[in-house]
Amino acid sequence: MKEVPVKIEHNNQWVVVKLGVGEDRIVIPAPINKEVLFKTVSDLAERKNTLIVTAKTDTEVVYKILSHEKVLQVLKKLILNACNAYRLMAYFMSPAIRGGVMVQDAQWEKGSVVVVLSGIWFVSATKQICVPVVDVAAIELTKRDVQGKPTDVVRIDHLDSGEVSSSFVLCPLSTLQVLYNFLKDTTKSMDMKGTELDGIDQQVAMLVYSGMDSHAIENMLNIPPKQLSIIYDKILKLGLAEVVIIRREIQLTTKGVRYISDATKAQTN
Amino acid sequence: MGKILIVDDTLFMRTLLKNILFSGGHTIVGEAGDGEEAVVKYKELKPDLVTMDIVMPKQNGIEALKAIKALDPAARIVMCTAVGQEQMVKLAIKSGAKGYIVKPFQAPKVLEEVKNVLAL
Repeated sequence: MKEVPVKIEHNNQWVVVKLGVGEDRIVIPAPINKEVLFKTVSDLAERKNTLIVTAKTDTEVVYKILSHEKVLQVLKKLILNACNAYRLMAYFMSPAIRGGVMVQDAQWEKGSVVVVLSGIWFVSATKQICVPVVDVAAIELTKRDVQGKPTDVVRIDHLDSGEVSSSFVLCPLSTLQVLYNFLKDTTKSMDMKGTELDGIDQQVAMLVYSGMDSHAIENMLNIPPKQLSIIYDKILKLGLAEVVIIRREIQLTTKGVRYISDATKAQTN
Repeated sequence: MGKILIVDDTLFMRTLLKNILFSGGHTIVGEAGDGEEAVVKYKELKPDLVTMDIVMPKQNGIEALKAIKALDPAARIVMCTAVGQEQMVKLAIKSGAKGYIVKPFQAPKVLEEVKNVLAL
């Protein structure tokens, strides 16, 4: 068994350990003293250089492992090949389209698509790309030109650094249909009817996305603050946005008016 | 900073772009609601840059782009595209568009693309 240096979270602190990495398991030494079989891993996610491994035997345990990119790559590959997940061999292209435009050097890669609880992984000999389920915007069974022929593919639209990107999966149609149904089911919680917001609500959401603040939105759409607040509540209730700051509008009291009047006089005298 | 002509068939999108570009210090010299009007306004206003929507009535953005490029091969035109219009963008770039911005717009990306194209 090989040993690699990693940091692992233990009691809300990062501890440095030599992680044992075998063909079918990892061995975490003291102070954790645990052995995790890859087949018990029910979820795998990645945040920056941290791998979040969820293993489930009698109880569910989450391990956060921080290490160099290369170490994590080996771990990801081993875990994704053996974990408890929906897995199929396929060709994939990810991302194929970024921000509405084809990625110039995108190519079909032979590998596998692994669907775990929190994400869809595209795994090849050189790549392990994860699309978190929460970032999936749409899934479609569609056709795409492959070597000049229209071919059935699954298209997955997802958010990547704030931009909508698309990835494609190519495999036999019957398998694609199964994958499509599985992905639709996995991402069901993100589905919306598209009728939840009316015209002006949608415009507000679009302006928020564009980076406008409340004042600019009120001016642009010519709506009073109260109406905007009601629309914000609707958007928040649907889980389409989150509060980042609460501003206050204030009005001067008589004392305040006297104060600034005096201040102005002092400045002009 | 440049003089910009905004071409889009929806008032909302024109107003949004106007706000974003104005906040970046640009001057909006005119607006057009379709491709035909865009060509007329281009001749009249001679802007430094045009933001051109693709799907519009009368004459679409690609046709208007070609007409403007025929009038002025040096015209700087940035296409406004929605997700899923990647083939259109390829066609527009082939036809002489200098860049593209994707709807829904994000102010920093719009300003960055406009700045890049103005620097060409």
